[in-house]
Formats: sequence, C-alpha cells, structure tokens
Amino acid sequence: MTLLFARSHQWLISPSLKIFSRLLTLLIILTLSGNVVVADTYKEKLDLQPLSGQFLLASFNFQSHGPIEAFNKQMFQLFPRSLGQILQYTHTRELHLRFALGRWDSELWGAQPGDGQNAGGTGVETWAWVEADNDVEAEARWTSLNNALSGLFCASLNFIDSTRTIRPVMSFNPTGDYPTTNTSRLFLLHGSLPKEPVCTENLTPFLKLLPCKGKSGISTLLDGHKLFDASFQSMSIDVRPICSPHTGTCDIEIQQTIDMVLDISRSLQRKDSPVPRPRDQHELICDTSKPYASNEYCYPMDNSIDLPWSLSDLFGRTISGGCPFAIKIPTEETQHVCIHAPENKLKTMETLELAAPAPTEGQPDLKCYVLRENLPFDLSFPKQQPPISPLRQEPLLYAERSFTGHGQEHGGVKTVLRNPNPNDPVEVVYLESLPWFMKPYLHTFKAQVLPAFDGEADVISELYYRPALDRKRGTQLEAKLVVPPNSVVILTYDFEKAVLRYTEYPPDANRGFDVASAIITIPPHRQGSDGKIIPATSIRTTSLLLSLPTPDFSMPYNVIIFTSTIMALAFGSIFNLLVRRFVAVDEVQRVDLKGKIRGLLGRLKKGKTE
Amino acid sequence: MDKDGSQSKLLQDDDSILPAGFVDKGADDSTGDLAATFKQPPPERPETVRTRLWVLLSAWMIAIFLGLPLWHATTTIYRAPLPMQEMQNWSEGKLCKTEFPLLVEVEAPSLPDAENLLKTVQHALDDANDFAAHKPHHLRLRLAAKKAESEEDSKSDRDENVACLLRLIPDSQNGYNHIVQSSSRIVDIHYPPPSSSSQSSVSAGLSKFVAETLEVLFRQEQELIEHLLLPQTSNPGSLNAISSQSADEGRDKKTPPKPRAATADITRRMSRVVKYSSSYHITFSLFTATSLPASWDIESAISQYLTPLLSALSPISNFTISTQVQYYASMSSGITPSYDGQSQSWTLKKEDLSSFINSAEWPLASISNDPNLNFILYIPHPSVSPLTIPSASHSNSFLLPQWGGVTILNLGHSASGLEHLSNPTLKPVLETFATHLLALLGAPPHPASLPIRLDSLIRQRSAEVLVSASSTLGSLQRLVNALPSISIPTTVSDSVQDSIRHLSLACEELRKGSFVKALEMGRVAQEEAEKAFFERTMVAQVYFPDEHKLAVYLPLLGPVSVPLVLGVFREVKRVIAEKKRLRSSA
Repeated sequence: MTLLFARSHQWLISPSLKIFSRLLTLLIILTLSGNVVVADTYKEKLDLQPLSGQFLLASFNFQSHGPIEAFNKQMFQLFPRSLGQILQYTHTRELHLRFALGRWDSELWGAQPGDGQNAGGTGVETWAWVEADNDVEAEARWTSLNNALSGLFCASLNFIDSTRTIRPVMSFNPTGDYPTTNTSRLFLLHGSLPKEPVCTENLTPFLKLLPCKGKSGISTLLDGHKLFDASFQSMSIDVRPICSPHTGTCDIEIQQTIDMVLDISRSLQRKDSPVPRPRDQHELICDTSKPYASNEYCYPMDNSIDLPWSLSDLFGRTISGGCPFAIKIPTEETQHVCIHAPENKLKTMETLELAAPAPTEGQPDLKCYVLRENLPFDLSFPKQQPPISPLRQEPLLYAERSFTGHGQEHGGVKTVLRNPNPNDPVEVVYLESLPWFMKPYLHTFKAQVLPAFDGEADVISELYYRPALDRKRGTQLEAKLVVPPNSVVILTYDFEKAVLRYTEYPPDANRGFDVASAIITIPPHRQGSDGKIIPATSIRTTSLLLSLPTPDFSMPYNVIIFTSTIMALAFGSIFNLLVRRFVAVDEVQRVDLKGKIRGLLGRLKKGKTE
Repeated sequence: MDKDGSQSKLLQDDDSILPAGFVDKGADDSTGDLAATFKQPPPERPETVRTRLWVLLSAWMIAIFLGLPLWHATTTIYRAPLPMQEMQNWSEGKLCKTEFPLLVEVEAPSLPDAENLLKTVQHALDDANDFAAHKPHHLRLRLAAKKAESEEDSKSDRDENVACLLRLIPDSQNGYNHIVQSSSRIVDIHYPPPSSSSQSSVSAGLSKFVAETLEVLFRQEQELIEHLLLPQTSNPGSLNAISSQSADEGRDKKTPPKPRAATADITRRMSRVVKYSSSYHITFSLFTATSLPASWDIESAISQYLTPLLSALSPISNFTISTQVQYYASMSSGITPSYDGQSQSWTLKKEDLSSFINSAEWPLASISNDPNLNFILYIPHPSVSPLTIPSASHSNSFLLPQWGGVTILNLGHSASGLEHLSNPTLKPVLETFATHLLALLGAPPHPASLPIRLDSLIRQRSAEVLVSASSTLGSLQRLVNALPSISIPTTVSDSVQDSIRHLSLACEELRKGSFVKALEMGRVAQEEAEKAFFERTMVAQVYFPDEHKLAVYLPLLGPVSVPLVLGVFREVKRVIAEKKRLRSSA
C-alpha cells in the first residue's frame, strides 16, 4: 500500500522519487524503441466510371486497419472512438450498416459496383454478428446497438425492434475472421427500415468517422447537396476483424463506402442555373429520324451527345490534396483516383498537372492517379463527337418485385428473376423480411419458369420459413433456387392484410406501409462455361408500399359515445318500465299544453295592454 | 314514402302537439273535449307504490355506491402511496444529524505524561466544538497502541479508522512546527524538548499547538462539508425553521464571521466538482488542427503517470479509460486568437475559453452509463502557434467545471517530434490532467498528505450523496403534492422506500465512523431516489384533466341521470299531491 502511494505521488511532490521515475521512463522508452510501433493504416480510393445515359458512377472507398488489442483497450487512433465504443459496449464483432436512396437501374447501368456488396435496400439496413451467451442476451445487445447507432447517425435505427429483426440462415456469412471466438456464440441479426429517408444528417456523422473528416483527400468532394441530388446513392459502413494467416495477429478493419450515380446533365445544369429552367431551343438536339419530325417541332434526343464535364463541375469543388494518412503507406502502390472508361475516351482526358499517374498494367481502359498532400486535383473530359458509349457490365441477374391483386383484404407479391446469361444457370438465395401485418400464405408460394423448363420440375431447392407472430416478429422467408440460363423465374405468393390497432397506425396512415427490399444473394461460384470465379454478389429489389385498411381515427370517441348511448337507452327503458305506471289510453292525465300556452299568451297580452 | 311520412308528420304537428304515437282516432276525437272523455285511473295499490319506491331507491343506491365508484376507479390515475412525511423530514435534514467522528492517534514515546496532554487537547477541541455546535466533525484523540503487541492484526483496522497519526518528536532546533508526510497519514509534530524546570508550561504550549495543528489539518474539509450541509438546514420552507434559525443566531454570536473570500472559494470549488458516481469513464483525446502529430504514447504514459493515482482513488470510484486521436479538429468558429507582439504568441480571450470545445464537431460523447470526464490535449494549427491562454500558469491549461480539462500544447516548428508525441512529452500534460482530475472529483487541495486528502474526499462525497438523495426525495414529495394528476407507479414507491432505508443505513454508518460503507449506502440511496424522480411513466400523462373525462362520458352520464332524477321528481310530486289530497279531504 505504501509503495503504491509512493508511486502515485512521484509526480506531485516527492523530489527524491523523481530520479527514480526518470530512470523508469528511460527504461520503458528503451524497451519500446526495440519494437516497431504498430500504427493504424488507412487507404482511400475514388473510382469513377461513366455510365450510359449521361450518368457517372463515383465510388468512394475509405478503409482503415488497426490492431485489435488497442481496439479492445479502447485506445483508438484512426478507428473512430464513437463507433468503437458502441461496438465494444454491445459486444458486436462484425457490423454492416447501409443507407441507400434511389434505385439502381441495372437495365441501363449494368451490374452494381462492388458486386452489390456495398449497397443496401432503400432506407436503412443493418446486420451484425453479436457475441452473446444466448438468444435473449443477443437480442438485448442488438437493441442497445441499434439505439446507440441511431444516436450516432441521426437515423431512426432505434425503431428496429423485434418485429423488424430477422435471423437469416442462408443469405449472410461472416466476412471477418474469428480464430478465438466460438462461432456458436455469434448471433446474426438483421434489421431494415425501408421508410427512413437518408439525408445530410446521416452524411455528416459518416464523414466525422473518417480520419481526414472531409477536410482533405477524396472526401472533400462529398457534399450533401450533391450527394443527395444524385440519381442513386448508397453509404455503407462495415466493421470486421481480420486476422493474418501467417502471423496470427488480428486487426480490426473499418470500411466506409459511398456509391453515387450522378446525372451529368442535371449537375451541369444546376451549376449554370441553380433554378431549373427549360433549355433554350437552339440548345436542343432534335431527333430528325422520327417520321413525324418536322422543322416546327423538336423531339429532343436524350443521351445523344457526350457532355463535357470535370470533377469541379460535377461536385462543385476540386479534391484539395491527398489525405496524409492515405499517402504514407509505404508498401503497396497507392491509387487514389481511378477512372474506368473506354480507351478512346481516356486518351482525351485532361488533368491538372499536379498528380502523379499510378501504373496500371495491361488495363487500357483504366487510369489511376496518386494525390499529393496540399495540392488540388481535378480531371476533365472534353466534348466528344461522335459519342463513345461507356463500358457496361452485364449483371448476373435482373430482379424486380411488385404487388398484385386488389382490395383491402388480400394481395399478392410477384418477383421476377431474369438470368441473362445464355449458358450458365444461377443459384440464388432469395430472402424476404415481411412485417407481421402482411401475412403470406405459404401454400401459394410458387415458382414458375419461363420459357417452360424441361429439367427439374421445381427450381426451389431449399426453403426456410419462420412465420410471423402478431406484434412480436415478422415473417422471414428464405428460398434457395436456381434460375436456368436465359430464362425467367417468377415467384408469386398471396398474403392477407391484417387490421392494426388504433395506436399502431403512423400519423400518415393513408400513405401506406413500406415493405423492405427483398435481398437476393448469389453465393460465390465458378461459372460452368468459362470457369471464371464469380464472387458473392447481392442484389436488392425496390421496397414496396403496402396500403392497409385505415380506420376513421375519431373511432374511439365514437365508440364511447355509441356504447354509452346504448347503455343509457337500455337503462332508461328498463327503469321506466319498472317505475312508470301503466294505464289505459283514455286514463292518461293529459297536460293541456295548448291551453297553457294560450293562457300564458293571454296573460302577456293583458300585461302589455295594461 | 319519405315525402308522405314527412307530410303526415307536418300535418299532425299542425293540429296536435302530442307525439305521433298518441294520435289515434279515438284520441283525435277527444282533443276537442278533454273533460268529457277523461277517466280517472284506478287508484294505485300501496304495494305497487312501495315497489316503485324500492326500485327507485335501489337504482339510486346502485348508481351512487356501485356505478360512481366503479367509474371513478376505472378512470382514475393510479397513485402509489408514498411516505410523504418521511420524505419531507429527510429533505429538511431532520432525521439524520450528520456527524463525522474522527479518530486521531497520538504517538509520544518521549513524553512522560502523554495521557495528561491528550486530555488537555481533547478539552480544547471539545471547547471549540461547543463553540460552534453545528460542526459536523468530532475529533477524538487516542494514545497509539504499543507497537510491539498488535502490529499485525490491527494493521488493516487502523488504516480504516484512524484519520491521522500524530507523532510528537522533541526537537531542540526548530521549536514548534508540523510536517505532513505526503504519502501516509502520519503528521510529525516537532516541539522543543522540555527543560526540567518548566514541565507544565511546555505541556500547555504543546497541547495548544497540537489542537491548532488538528484544526489546520481539517479546517478546509470542515468548511466544505458545512457548506454542503448548509442549504439543507436553511431551507426556507422547512418546518424546523425555528431551530435552524436559532442555530444560525448562535453561530452569528459566537464565531467571527467567515471571510467572504473563503466562502466564495468553496463555492467556486464545489461548482467544479462532478456529480458523484461509483465509476467514471475518462476519455483522453488528442485534438490536432492538422494531421500532425499522428500518434501519441498515451498508453504507456497513462500506466506510468496516472494509474497509481487511479488505484489510490479506487475506494471512492472506479475508472475506465479510453483514448482517441482526432485530426483536422478546428476550434469553434467564433474563436479568433489575437496576436501578441510582445510575447510573440497568440492568445485566447478569457471568454473564449468557455466555448473552446467545439461540441458540434468534436466527437466527445460517450455511450457508457457512467459520467464521462474528458481531457483534451489540443495542438493548435502552426499558423496560430504558439497559442497561449490568459493568466495561465506554465501548464497552459484550463479546467472546465464538471466536464474535464484542456491543455494546449505548442510543438514549435521543429520537424522532430511532430510525427509522434513521446512519453516524456506527455508527462507534464498528464500531470496537469491529474491535478484537474483531483479538482473535478473534489479532493481538497490541503493538506499535503494524499491519504488524508482522499479520506477527506470520502467524507465529503458521503455528505454530498446524503444531501443530494434527501433533496431529491424532497423534490419528489413537492412534485407529487403540486401535481395531483400525475400518476405514481409502484416502482416509484419501492424506490423511495429503498432510498429511505439506505439513507438511514448510511447515517448509521457515518455515526459509527465507517465512511466507505456510508458512501456506498448513500450512493444506493441517491441512485434509488433519482430512479424514482425520473420515472418515465410519471410524465406520460401529466395533463389529462377531469373535465375531459366528464366530457367523454357525458353521453352515458346524461341519459342515465335524467330518468333517475325525473323519477325522484315525480315521486316527490306524487307524495306532495297525496298529502294535499289528504289535507283537503281531512
């Protein structure tokens, strides 16, 4: 005890102990300088890809690694403390969080960037592996995780309760490494909020998690006005532990991405005239190929010209130099800004002469740059005539989902999955998370193949179904099925609409209830025809808007009044039956009202005349 | 059909005021001449009259004794019973006279009549205590046990109970003086050795000096605790205003008025102190205006310079620590340091310091349930470096009351040491943070001995939690009285009971002198009291007035009460008519 006090006091008073402490310090420094101080590493990259129809895909990727020991001790460096503390407090080992707005138009734009792994369904979607002893504890930790994230990201994540939580069986697999954790203690929970409008208040905390905070590096381009003006945008955060198979040391990795599809013509127009105006006639390019075209009328052509653009035009600013932490990585060759475009187009590209090009071997349609600290970066494409059509990668699968049926009582859901590949079938896992008030009839769940498929009669090989419990949990429907090459699988099922309680309706009940996107996962596989390995891919359908029968909201007062009146009527008549005396009609003691009124009037007249 | 019906109704209305049902042919005929066709109904049998009376009476009885209570019970707000009087008594400080018996051991191996000396000192101390009756401290002196006999077994016991140990050492050179050892509870008192001739005078002088020393040692703590207990006793609305007033008078008469500066100092110090909790979360943050320095040796620095202090504090509170580095952290936009040509540095204005923390952008919130203390090391941008704060000591730091501390570190322009903050660089910073931490926790700056200061911190904290818990109970009691429409769930009354039970336990422990236990009990009492006060369901239906209830149920109450009232009215009329008839016939 006394020793403890002595040590505690060395820095306050006792001069004799100072020498000792200095010695100790020296000793520690000497021992420390032997090891290399393991610091966090950070990477960031911006991928640009022009898409057909005058769109530009900009994918931002920010990634940082840090030793997991420091993370567990809450000694944070590049990893954001606000998020790290939440993960530790709730024992979350792996977290995936998605904010998305808009629809990825795969017919026009092709496959999603990053194989769809970074995109989420409309609104907010989150799934996590939570370490816990049992299911109840996992649920409690999941709830507190959502509450904390809700505060951190200014989103209504706290509304992810047990009715919006599912435990997918086939769709998700942990992407991190767990050498020490018993995997039976890890619980996967998934929740989605399709109604959540994603906006700037979610972007600001997102940027705060970055080490450079949008003050330098590619994150300087991220501005709420531009990001949320995009045709499609998706923000994602993934945290997972990663262990090196050689050394056995583990890191914690946080990866933040933003994918946005900018409408180039819209962005340029916004720049020229902030208030949208119709274009002048001489600016229009008329489609003269139409048979009904004439000199008097112009049928404007879309996407016919290649508009000239530059980063500063589209984002309203240039990249203000590289983020220092992303520059310092000594080992790998760094690439900060990359652009994928046809070779002809890349040749015309101009950059500010301040960035060093990074080597890109054997890829003629790719050009990359390394940013330098404090030196701005911009790139621009001049107008091109004739237009060069951009690269497009065919997606593995097209998926769309819609409601069928009519009326307030029943409805149906129809999902169309189309495999464009002429040779290879695609195995997919289809996952739906339905709210409890949408009650599917499982016996109506059917898969139809078009054109009629000769092989196996049933394309569904596995089905996992967890029925809903009213007000406790939603339906979880997971099906593994095969979409044959060059054909369409149509999944249909019917459902019943439940009637909610009075207080369960939201303020805008007549708008309808959002149903979360269906998640279609294609597990990693090797293509049969050319032996190419396809990584895990996921596709999300759009969310649906379900209209439920809505009551008249003055109902409770009406009910009270009706029942009160009936009770009062019943009581009144019975009471009168008991109390009143029944006599014959001619025995009724009549009150001569007429005579009384006449008398009154007469008296009044009399009074007046007097 | 509609048209016909309405037409016929109109017609009937024209010639008869009677309802449609009554208008049959016979009646139509009779309207002209009422008296001719009117028949007197047969007289009622007395049992019919009696039955009717019974029916009427029972209907009223049911309405009054069953209907109304049922309606009231189903629509009323549940209010669990609370021990209101007891709560009020606690809040007025009636139920617990806060006392802090302190045991002081005296070791005087070279003094022959130590017993006698102790008696004199005790007398002097008791006199001082009588002087100011309100003083919570009671110093009790005891001669140290002979070392040899019970060194081992009583060691732990002594550590807990003895507030300090006085060692009387004869010293011929320096005369009277006392030395406080910084890392133990031992206070050495030096006194000139007695010459054989004036044995008694030395003894008197010594006893006076010992009493003074003890007074000095505990004065600051005493003032602080008095300050804590003061608002409780001088509560204007309290019932024991008379007694507290008399106590005030007594103090005014006898003790000299306290210097205002001292009171202001205590208030200032108390306003800094964070609310007591059994555990705190400390966050050390490195905020730099650029991307440099990129890392710091905080882990080793904490374990070296701070962990010993934290483990010494562990009987009072536990601490968890997290650290973070935040780059590109700009000061709040309103703050612009001005350049001082004389010292060639940038200075912040004093009023800027309160808004120095850029809470909009700096991620400082913590999700743990414990109170969070923030210590920030700020590295200014090179363009405003060196940055200084006005009237600062050499440490260039300031303390934010109840929140944490900030140190500004100017790194200079040399390239070395910018990338990484090493352990020696952090040493002065962490020392500043340690003093900040002690100030935030409320440890008195005096005396020099850390154990005595920590002991005194425990006493101070227990007084604080007691006062806080009882005043929370008092507020709850006033709230419940003020808002009759507020609902009180049973959890609230349970918490209140629990809080009161722990309060009295804490009070008992205080009297026994085991302050750590008292603190523990007081903490539970405070937690429970706060749980009761901040019960969420109490606020949910604060405003649901009785008029509203009546309006909603009027469709039931109206139609039901009308036949009941009319029935009584008719009966009364009948009885009166009967009486009149009887009188006229008589």
